[in-house]
Amino acid sequence: MRHARSITIALVLWTARAGSGQAAPPAKLAASIKRVFGAGARVDSVRVDSTAVLRVSRGDSLLGFASVNNVIGKDQPITFLVAIDRDDRLKDVDILVYREPYGGEVAYEPWRKQFRGKTAADSLRVGKEIRSISGATISVRSVTSGVKAAVANLTRWHRTGVIQ
Amino acid sequence: MPVAFAHRTLWFLALATAVAASAPLRSAAAQERTTVGGYGEAQYTNATGPNTPGQATLRRFVLYLAHGFNDQLTFHSELEVEDARVEPGGTAGEVEVEQAFLDYRLKDWLTVRTGLVLVPVGILNETHEPTTFNGVQRPGFDTDVLPTTWRELGVGLLGQLPGGAGLSYRVYLLNGLNAEGFSAEQGIREGRQEGQNASYANPSVTGRLEWARPGLKVGGSFWYGGTSNGEPSLGTGTFSAPVALLSADARYDRGAASLRAEVANISVTDAAAMNAAFGTDVGSRIAGGYVEAAYNVLALLARSSSQKLTAFVRYEQYDTQASVPAGEVPDGALARRITTVGLTYKPIDNAVFKADYQLLRNRSAVAEGEVLSLGIGYQF
Repeated sequence: MRHARSITIALVLWTARAGSGQAAPPAKLAASIKRVFGAGARVDSVRVDSTAVLRVSRGDSLLGFASVNNVIGKDQPITFLVAIDRDDRLKDVDILVYREPYGGEVAYEPWRKQFRGKTAADSLRVGKEIRSISGATISVRSVTSGVKAAVANLTRWHRTGVIQ
Repeated sequence: MPVAFAHRTLWFLALATAVAASAPLRSAAAQERTTVGGYGEAQYTNATGPNTPGQATLRRFVLYLAHGFNDQLTFHSELEVEDARVEPGGTAGEVEVEQAFLDYRLKDWLTVRTGLVLVPVGILNETHEPTTFNGVQRPGFDTDVLPTTWRELGVGLLGQLPGGAGLSYRVYLLNGLNAEGFSAEQGIREGRQEGQNASYANPSVTGRLEWARPGLKVGGSFWYGGTSNGEPSLGTGTFSAPVALLSADARYDRGAASLRAEVANISVTDAAAMNAAFGTDVGSRIAGGYVEAAYNVLALLARSSSQKLTAFVRYEQYDTQASVPAGEVPDGALARRITTVGLTYKPIDNAVFKADYQLLRNRSAVAEGEVLSLGIGYQF
């Protein structure tokens, strides 16, 4: 039973690939959802415009939403997850696939956790609210602008009832 | 010895290939992608003193070409023209491939890198675009002590250490240096082989460990290899005429302020034999470093601006003859102290206008001077 459920979640996540083409491995996405929302959460996938949005719940209660997105770093796509809670606060950012030769420090927890608790109304500027990492500045700028756009979209869709 | 080493090299390559081949390709999910980019810098320099007219050069014009084959396999390259043109038989200008390598990403903690790669030593060697450093010229330390842009052929492993400690590593096996090119003034610089029919008579092992936090990066690097390149008086072993390099560096920024520093120590154990063999005056120890402080004054003058006008000061102290073999006398003019003050204006992150003034000093107080430099740079 438990096994069947995790296969179902894997299938949901497999179909919830990022809109612009580059996908995250389903196992990695499942691990990311588990880390951000806790084990045993139910994941439903909907597609809004070209973005794969995940609705995460446990029992009858909504935990939040997540989306899988891509931004271009220096030359390769960076595939990342942005998760918000049901009050539209940023829960976490996770780097799912990093493909560049330099700049992978954006996956480090101390850098990612700067985003936690932010909302679509907050300013997210590199060098101001979000500190950069030397040698990874291109990735830092790309991911920061990607997170800002993703939070804005998720929040707007949630508040207008596109996702609920 | 060289034969035995070749076997080991092949074994290593075979292992790397086998490991790479066992990772499944997700071709269905991957999209191929080719990217063209570039960077470059033009410079004007004018030294003080009689009969020293200003000089301008298109120092670097670099085309960057990369291709992503799938999520695991990517190619990266830089093709560079130095000083604008190259003529047959001329000594000015160079056309060179500065990087050309394949990355095979197996795990977050393991990528196999093969080809012409940047030696992972110091700050500037791997991150050298003109928008990433202050000053028109690269620091003298990053020319005369650490020989940027230092690139050689080989294979390496790199990745992030698991556990979220913020540590990443790179370990490469590359072709070595050739001691015949070493000099008193620029140390190991002209011993680089730069990917052209490079001899593997003396391989090298090099690596780097980095620790990163928001606003902070600390790194340590090493390079070790033989440099005899078959010269009988220096020995024919794999690690004959060894050179050992250790370096450390740090970059910190907070708000409008930033600091960076690099130090290095290079031991040239058989400098006496090299100098006898090649008629040079190579130091047995090459050492030094610099510290630099910078502040974005627009943070005070125009708080809402995203532009940057950074004032900086850098102090370098290095000596390519920090020690010399017994019986040789060090040249005090090589114990250099360079103070650079300047401005870096960035209307956007990827375009830069630079101006600086350098005070060139040395222990013997000979041929000292000042240099005014102006420059532009870009990256995209």
